[in-house]
Amino acid sequence: MNEKKDIQIITRPTKAEIEQAKINFSPRCTSAGRVNDKETQKTVQFILNFARKHSLFLLAYGTGCGAIEIPATLTSRYDAERLGIRGAATPRQADVLMITGYLSVKTLKRVIRVYEQMQDPKYVVAFGSCTINGGMYFDSYNTIKALDRYIPVDVYIAGCMPRPEAVLKGFAKLQELIQNGNAGNGECYRKNLDWYRANQQKVIKNWNFPDEYNW
Amino acid sequence: MNTTFVQNKIREVFECRTDILRGNQIRIYADKKSVPPVLLYLKNQLGFIHLNHISCVDWIEDNVFELVYIVYRPEDKITVLVKTKIDRENPVMENIDTIWDQANTYEREIREMFGVEFPGLEAPAEFILEDWQDLPPMRKDFDTRKYARETYETRPGREDARNVRDYIRQRTGEKLPDFAKKYSRD
Repeated sequence: MNEKKDIQIITRPTKAEIEQAKINFSPRCTSAGRVNDKETQKTVQFILNFARKHSLFLLAYGTGCGAIEIPATLTSRYDAERLGIRGAATPRQADVLMITGYLSVKTLKRVIRVYEQMQDPKYVVAFGSCTINGGMYFDSYNTIKALDRYIPVDVYIAGCMPRPEAVLKGFAKLQELIQNGNAGNGECYRKNLDWYRANQQKVIKNWNFPDEYNW
Repeated sequence: MNTTFVQNKIREVFECRTDILRGNQIRIYADKKSVPPVLLYLKNQLGFIHLNHISCVDWIEDNVFELVYIVYRPEDKITVLVKTKIDRENPVMENIDTIWDQANTYEREIREMFGVEFPGLEAPAEFILEDWQDLPPMRKDFDTRKYARETYETRPGREDARNVRDYIRQRTGEKLPDFAKKYSRD
């Protein structure tokens, strides 16, 4: 087992830093040097974002009671697939990680591993009031209260639990963010890894994560 | 077979206090040592072949844990509750997973949530909780709120969260009975 590192509490990243992290993130086809023209880059970015927002692969992983709303959203009545949202089997194939409901510490460990395995661009949609402020489990000994202290979150959907219409509205918001280039916090997570790790280690007592990831 | 018959049979063999609850329920107060014989007698002689549940109650005022074994006879739909009290300072109870295999799971849960030891219980140390280092969380002297406040970061805005029951009482002027006042948060 690895030795525990000294936990250093690093202050939360400022808004400007997060914005800079988002700007620094650039897709591969532009960094390859083939397309240098600014206007062309803009067009390519537009097309990329358009494609991404219409093919959101949702990881089939439910953490809490809210997972019961996902089948209703995906199947014939509300039919999320008409918006390009469908299930994916493994983290490496998925774009969207949906945190459906409360997260116990045990599940948080798995969620972090899953989030780190996902390929960029990756989006997190937090679902239900439990992920926002603890919800009805605000004084529970085993659930976390604010998800964005542990992994970056793109869209919160409020409600206990939100109906499929609210879920679709949340996805519409996510698509809007993707089109504007504001979604996808993988780079932000990597840049502020120390801050997130400090928070995670505060909660997860027996830390046995791999030291370095091959991002 | 009815509840009175079962009650008389138990009284013949063991010296335990028994009473009949509503429906087809019988309650037996046994001491710690006579629990396995009572359960064996119920299973082998009276046909209570099914163990519904084992639960634990923390009576912190009396300094005891109360273990409740719930067994069931499917033919007549009779339920028997075997209750026993064990010391809270040194909680040890006999392992009964030789009588019913499913008792293993319940005993693991009680061991984790209340810290009651079952000598000879063959099971991994952790059941539901992972890396738990504090007091067993279902004990009454474990302050859940304090622990949650200290361990987990809370988003600002829930500081005014209060007991809904007390709030309703204040608003409507309702009078609480004495036993309820004891547990009120005010």
